[in-house]
Parts: sequence; C-alpha cells; structure tokens
Amino acid sequence: MNKRLKEDGSSRKKILFTSMLFMGLGHIVYFKQYIKGLFYALFEIIILFMIPTIVSKLNDMVTLGVLKPDLPVKERDHSIFMLIDGVIVLAILFIFIIVYIISVRSALAEYKEYCIDKRIKTNKESISRALGKAFPIFGLAPSVGLIVFFVVVPLIFSACVAFTNYSAPKHIPPNNTVDWVGMDNFAAMFGGEAVWTSALGRVALWTLVWAILATATCYFGGMIMAVILMDNKLKIAPIFRGIFILPYAVPSVVSMLVWQNLLNGSFGTVNRTLIQLGWIDKAIPWLSNEWVAKFTTILINLWAGFPYFMLLITGTMTAISSDLFEAAKIDGASRFQVFKNITLPMVLYQTMPLIIMSFTHNINNFGAIFFLTGGNPVVSDSTITSAGGTDILVTWIYKLTVNLMKYNYASVLAIMIFIILAPFAIFQFMRTKSYKEGEF
Amino acid sequence: MGNKIIKRINLTTVLVILTIISLGVLYPLVYVISAAFSPGNSIASLNIIPFGDGFTLDHFKHLFNNTKYLIWFKNTLTIALGTSFLTIVVASLGAYVFSRFQFTMKKSMMLLMLILQIFPSFVGMVAIYVILLRINGLDTLWGLVLVYLAGNIPYNTWLVKSYIDTIPKSIDESARIDGANNLLIYRKIIMPIARPIIVFLGITSFTAPWMDYIFPKMILRSADKQTLALGLFSFVTDKKNEFTVFAAGSLLIAIPFIIFFIITQKTMVTSFGSAAVKE
Repeated sequence: MNKRLKEDGSSRKKILFTSMLFMGLGHIVYFKQYIKGLFYALFEIIILFMIPTIVSKLNDMVTLGVLKPDLPVKERDHSIFMLIDGVIVLAILFIFIIVYIISVRSALAEYKEYCIDKRIKTNKESISRALGKAFPIFGLAPSVGLIVFFVVVPLIFSACVAFTNYSAPKHIPPNNTVDWVGMDNFAAMFGGEAVWTSALGRVALWTLVWAILATATCYFGGMIMAVILMDNKLKIAPIFRGIFILPYAVPSVVSMLVWQNLLNGSFGTVNRTLIQLGWIDKAIPWLSNEWVAKFTTILINLWAGFPYFMLLITGTMTAISSDLFEAAKIDGASRFQVFKNITLPMVLYQTMPLIIMSFTHNINNFGAIFFLTGGNPVVSDSTITSAGGTDILVTWIYKLTVNLMKYNYASVLAIMIFIILAPFAIFQFMRTKSYKEGEF
Repeated sequence: MGNKIIKRINLTTVLVILTIISLGVLYPLVYVISAAFSPGNSIASLNIIPFGDGFTLDHFKHLFNNTKYLIWFKNTLTIALGTSFLTIVVASLGAYVFSRFQFTMKKSMMLLMLILQIFPSFVGMVAIYVILLRINGLDTLWGLVLVYLAGNIPYNTWLVKSYIDTIPKSIDESARIDGANNLLIYRKIIMPIARPIIVFLGITSFTAPWMDYIFPKMILRSADKQTLALGLFSFVTDKKNEFTVFAAGSLLIAIPFIIFFIITQKTMVTSFGSAAVKE
C-alpha cells in the first residue's frame, strides 16, 4: 500500500476508504498512531467475534421463542430474556456504529492537520493529544454506561412490550411464550375493549385535573402565606414560618401514611374527633367515596406541598427591589394594588419554570396518591382494570405491573405519559441558556 | 384613631387565621408524636385527644428488641451514602465534560437526558429486574444503589451543567496555561466553585432513598436486606395495623430529617430556586 500522503488534500478518499475498511486502520497505516488505532481495531475485532451471538440474539428478539411444552420449565424459551437481550445487543451495536463514525472522522481530522503541518505528528504529540481527548470520554463513560443499561434499555424494553401480548394469565414466561401483536394493545385501550377504554379516559383525565389542581393549590397557597408573612408588622412571622415548613421537612411517605390512618373512615381519628365535637353525625368517607377521596388527595397534597412554594416565593419576593414598593407607596397605591400590579406579575414571571416543573412532577407524583389512598376507592371497573377512583397514570402502571401483571397495557400507559410530558421536556430544553446562545 | 382600630382588627384577624392554619398543619405531626408514646396498638384504640392515653416507651423498646429496626437503618444509611457519593462524582464529572468540551452528538445527548428524566424509573422495572438478575445484583444493596444512581444522573447532570456554565471559562484557561490538566482543573477549580450545587445534589440524593418504596420492594428480598421504608410500611398494611409502632419508628427518622432540613433549608431553597431560574 502506498503510505505516502499528498499534502494538497487529494488523499482524503484513500484515508476515508482505509478507515472505513477496518476501524483504526487509517490511524495505524498513515499516521503511525498505533495505540489509538489498536484500540479501535480491538473493539471491531471483539464485535466481529460476537457476530454469531449477535445474530442469534437478534433472531430471538424477532421470534421471541417458540413454545416447547415438553421441555422442563428451565430449558424452555424465555421470551422476556430474549427481548431484553435483543434490546441490549441493539444498544451495543448502536454504540459500535457511533464509535466507528467517530474513528473515521478522527482519521479525516488527522489528515486535515497533516495537510497544514506537512508532517505526521510525533509520538509524543499524539499521545498528549490523545490524553487530552480521552478526558471527555472517560468523564462521560460512567454516565453513558449507567444510562444506557439502567435507563435507556429498560425504557426501550417497555416501549417494545406495548407491542406484545406479555400479560397474565396466558402469556407469562417461562411457562408460556410472548408474541408480537402489533398495535393490538393500543386498539384495545383506545376503543377496542369498552371497559379499558373508559378506564383509560377516566384515569387520564383525572391525572391532568390532579396535576393542574395540585400545582395550582400549592402555588397559590404558598404565595398567600408568603405574602402574609412578609408583612413586617407581624413580629411573630418567623414562628409561623417555622411551623409551616414542617410538612415539607417530614418524609412524604411517612406523612401520607399518617394521613391515611387519620382519615380512615371507620376508626380514623379525624372522623372520631368530628363526631365527638358534634360537628357531623356520621363518618365522612374521606377515602372511600370516589369524589370525596379526590378532594382529599388535593387537600392533603396542599398540606404537604405549600411550604415549598412558600419558601421559594419568599425568596423571590425578597429579591424584588424595594425601590419598586417605595415608589408605589408614594404614588398612593393600596397594598392590594401593590400585590396585584407588582408582586404577583414579578413572582409569576420568576417562578414560571418552577410551576412547569411542579406540574410535570405532579403528573408523576406516585407517592402522594399511592401512600394516601392506594388509588382507591374501587369503582365499577376496578375489578377488571385495577384502576381505582383516585389512581393516576403512574399508580395505575404500578398496579398493572405488580398486581395484574398486564405488562402490555402498562407499557401503553407509559407511552402515553411520554406523549404528555415530552413537549414539556423539549420546551425546557429550548428555554435553557446554552440552547438560546446556540452553544451546541 | 378609627384607622388604628381597623388596623388592629385586621392584625387580629390575620393572627387568628394563621393560628387556625398552624393547628391544621401541626395536627398530624402532634398526633404522630402522641401515638408513638401511647399504649395500645391500632389507631382505632387511640384517644382522639393527643397524649390522652398515658405515656409509654414500649413501642421504642419493641422496635429495637423485636424488630430489625437497626438493620433497616444501617441498610438504608449505606444505600443513601453510596447513592449520594456516586451521584456527586458521576453527575459532576459528566456535567463538567458537557459544559467545557465540544464533541459529536453533544446536543442529542443533552436532549435525550432531558427526555429520559421525565419517566419515573419504575416504568422500566421489569427490565431492570432482569438486568440485575444477570449481573447478580438482586437482593444486594449495591444493586439498588446502581438503580438509584442511574435514575439520578440525567436530571442532575443538567442541573450541575447549568451551574458550571456560569463559571467563566477564562478561569480554566489560565489554569491550563499554568500547566493544569483537565482532571486537575475539574478537581481543584470547578468543584470548589460549584460547591453550592454539589451540596444541594448531595443532600437531595442522600434523602431520596430513605423513603423510596418501589425499588427496595422489588430488589431486596431477604429479611436482613430490608430498608426503613419497607419496614415501616409493614406495620400499617391492610392485614395489620400497628400504628403506634409505626409512629415510633417514623418519629425516630423524621426528627433528624427535620433538624437537618431546618439547618439546610436556606441553602436548599436558594440553590434550587436559582439553579432552576437561571438556566
């Protein structure tokens, strides 16, 4: 092979071809970067050796195994392992392709420098170069590895399950196999099976209502408290502030379980107290009537959530320049006018991103529902769908997975959450400073 | 004169309203404290007036003598410390790279991480279970730490990156001229300046595992590997109601939480607020 490179850039094709022929070959042949080149080559060799495994794993992913009832359970095809292995293999192949592209680009960049410098870099130069370049790779490797195997692969797996019939009682490995069923689950959830469709509509609507009300009540509750306590005539404001942040400091699982017990319909302390006081005649079904329970979840969430916004808005308000208030006072504005025209708009503007974050958090607020009501009370379709009166999408996903083992339907719901929340994530991304400044 | 009276009435009304709200806020907390020291077991048998049943330390003795409370505590502490430490290292290193280096696919990786953090991690729990099974991570504390760590990275890398972006690049440049390499710049320059956000990250990732329920339930099986949340939850299931023991156990964990929170709340809220607002 002709190892001489032209300095006018006309050898670009040759380098491109060599680098694409085998990963790292360009580095070794033309630039004498043996270590870097060998690293690349080694990666490709490992992948080449694994080709039989890769092919069989991908094949398994397509077929998801065949039913072999006469074999002992341990030796039967396990569709779920096959699916997960397939997803992992795809992830590894994806990383391989990315590294391949990086290797080719790096060879071309090397050539560009060669054309400028008219010489190959010395060993010392390229080693120190490689060390500098290696830092981002080593810095990101733990993040990428963990995210790929514990976040991306599981999520892609879940997305795949939405297109299979992985569900109890008939399709639970290893006794049975799972099969691809195309869009059947979506068809069933969106109109095909009336019970599931109505449950989905009910739960999805309540999830949205819950997220909006939970965010709004906590935000305005917190704001009212912040404004009242900011009033400097109140000498003991710090004491009240100290009391009000307590719910935020208590771990939420503990407080939700406590409330669940206090609000219990028959033996809960709240009802017993109210009856004792003579304020009510019979027990209020705090958690056992669908609509009262919905109200209760919002109310208890307000209890747990207003301190966060109270602290935050107090912080924001102290940051608003006091000149503004002074000027308004001189102009004869009443306190309500000051609040309406200065405080409210400024605080709203400043905290808007946090309101959106809180909204997306509440869409996924598993703890506030699960530990307070458990998604109960049961409603007409609960025996089939397991979705109770206060279940939101995430708690329903949990119940479908753990209690009913209807993984396929749970995955459809996960995809729905994605569709609801992805626009918010992208919006958040476009709002960031680095995006706006076009740094990427 | 009349004006003064109106003002006083106003103030009194505000005080009365605040007092009523305070009672509502304190009610469950006071009741938990009283339940922890009250004789009896289930919440049905408790007096509706706090501390109306007398005083006992039996539930605390029961926790330490007859349950594995101390083991639960030790397990949870191990998990929390491991998660917190590893999250700080991995997320800040990643954030530094994202903030200071240019590389292929940087933008897609950042967007991907932002999209990934919208899913609650348990959406993929079947796959996580199988992956842990493959690497022998089931029923181990480190398996749980890995799951928490992976779940923490996407959002927190963003958080720390936004903070590091505000540190002028000229500081690194001058250090580089003085011969400092990337790792040294990260350790000696970036990390100290980014301390507020690192502290915030450490605290949030330390506190979260204490009360998580889903993953410990799925991953930890044997009695000696349980966490506090699992243990406490087992006192108030559908089958039995030992509310007083639950209250005692919760109190022991809530008190350090509250003290810790009150000490750190100012830094927490300001760094959280500013981190999110500044972005």
